[in-house]
Amino acid sequence: MDLLKIENLKTYFFTEAGVVKAVDDVSFSVKAGATLGLVGESGSGKSVTTQSVLRIVPRPGKIVGGQILFEGEDVLLKTEKEMKTFRGRNVSLIFQDPTTSLNPLFTIGDQLADIVIEHNDVKKSEALEHVITTLRRVHLPDQEEAVYNYPHQFSGGMKQRICIARALLLNPQLLFADEPTSNLDVTIQAQIITLLKELQEEIGMTLVMITHDMGVVADMCKWVVVFYAGNIMEIGSIDQIFEDPHPYTEALLKAVPRLDQTRRLVSIPGTIPNLIDIPSGCRFHPRCQYTIDACKNIRPPVEDVGDGHFVSCHRWRELHKGG
Amino acid sequence: MLKLRRKKARDDVKKGVSQWAVGWMRFKKHKAGLLGLGMIAVFLVIALLHNVIAPYPGRPEFGSFQPLYDGEAGMPPSEKHPFGTTVMGTDVFSEVIHGSVYTLYVAFTVTIITTILTVSVGITAGYLGKYVDETLMRVSEIFLVFPSTLLILVFARIFQLRVTEPYWNVFGMNIPIGLTIIVLIVSIFGWAANARVIRGEVLKIKEYEYIQAAKSLGASSRWIMVRHILPNILPQIIVISTLTMATAVLVEAGVSFLGFGDPNTVTWGRLLQESFNDLSTTWWAEIFPGLAVFFTTLAFNLVGDGLSDALNPRLRE
Repeated sequence: MDLLKIENLKTYFFTEAGVVKAVDDVSFSVKAGATLGLVGESGSGKSVTTQSVLRIVPRPGKIVGGQILFEGEDVLLKTEKEMKTFRGRNVSLIFQDPTTSLNPLFTIGDQLADIVIEHNDVKKSEALEHVITTLRRVHLPDQEEAVYNYPHQFSGGMKQRICIARALLLNPQLLFADEPTSNLDVTIQAQIITLLKELQEEIGMTLVMITHDMGVVADMCKWVVVFYAGNIMEIGSIDQIFEDPHPYTEALLKAVPRLDQTRRLVSIPGTIPNLIDIPSGCRFHPRCQYTIDACKNIRPPVEDVGDGHFVSCHRWRELHKGG
Repeated sequence: MLKLRRKKARDDVKKGVSQWAVGWMRFKKHKAGLLGLGMIAVFLVIALLHNVIAPYPGRPEFGSFQPLYDGEAGMPPSEKHPFGTTVMGTDVFSEVIHGSVYTLYVAFTVTIITTILTVSVGITAGYLGKYVDETLMRVSEIFLVFPSTLLILVFARIFQLRVTEPYWNVFGMNIPIGLTIIVLIVSIFGWAANARVIRGEVLKIKEYEYIQAAKSLGASSRWIMVRHILPNILPQIIVISTLTMATAVLVEAGVSFLGFGDPNTVTWGRLLQESFNDLSTTWWAEIFPGLAVFFTTLAFNLVGDGLSDALNPRLRE
């Protein structure tokens, strides 16, 4: 069963300089209980896709087309009142920077209990009790004391644990983690990843990891969606994208330093395109080493190449299956 | 001793200290701010007990110049009349004491009204953005480009001529109508500049991730404005309101001094105006109300500076 199914989603930002097509015709689905990775460079549309699902795209962004089906219901047709319960209860979000995602003026207990009270209409003491239980689930030490402390009294890793607890407060079915480890140092990163894995196994929650770290993806996710300049380049299992990658994924993988190989790192030439003035045809063609004329003019469709592997490339068959 | 201190430190961590506690701790070290606070406390006591402190009662009714002393006009400061008497024969000391009530009334009401206007306009414009922001900011510009002092005088005169009743009796208190109208006029012309400051703060705060996080957890716009944005701009609001009090006192004194004030209330500005023509002879009738205005404004400004240093320590460097 698809828990979340995104079809032809288009989210544009209407800026003074022009229309920024941050997410342009993106379709993919997430199965219940699965862990999906969304990878891609900065500005490739990963985060905007998540924001679109929760309908919290910041201005001047607007969802201009497509469907977002959650358990078969279109999120985009929900009223603002229905969205209030949808956010947090059905889908929840972990943010990139734990230092700015907690309000510095309130104690942890106050700000987390607020959310429980907003949604469940319980007494403050009961809400606080629930907060403490949730904090215990994310292994925050001294939960009973921690609720009386302010965000600045915690380290970055602790804050991220608190943020994860906040996202779990209402037991969401789907959790988006928007680069949850990119602002933490490496040892803490490993701890947070372990925690997310543990939580996922424990309650069978569906998790969508947004990241640009291929290592994290390989470690956590079974399925990966590769974004580039607002388009999907490839969808596949970890094995599929490592073995028969799309030219962009291939370039991305080559750019990751590895301890077991002594080769030089290969960078992708050029820069990500300006999303106001998008390259014609395949969006990756100006930077792709396999470009042919067709790539410049015709946008390659996202094709099913078997076993749930989808690729958007004119030359993939020829490169990997010998034509 | 060391052990004790360490234990105290540990207890602090255990509880967590709110920003207000930290701010108050800093304010307590701010000598000028404390001095200002002390002065305001003294003014409050004087205003509350004005009937007890003043040796002579306030002027009885409606433009009556019945002398409030026992027959000595234009006397310099003496033991009997610490601030001297006016040419009309009123006791300056008593008048100044009675005037403090009106001054504080003006300071607090103007501040309450302008702060409510400032904050609601600033938060709404900053948070909702789009055409709401456009409209409110254009309106604030209209208020900023008009010469507010002149308009205050014009409106004050228009209403001054229409007031027939001197007082409203609200819960047994006599609220001077003319003065209240001046309060309203001053407030209406006083919110624009600060609303733009608040809007700027809101624009900054609404980009923080915790606002996004609150949204992603189903918080409504009202909830975010009240629970997240308002507490974060409260330090600025407090500082702005304290300084508004000082401005309000000055503006009211100015309006009354120019003769546009409430004819039924003897404010400090009115005292300045009445004895202005006799400045060369009875200078004390002019100096003492002037000093009263000066010290009140000074006190509010000192507290404002102290609060600003205590609540926004980063602005100090």
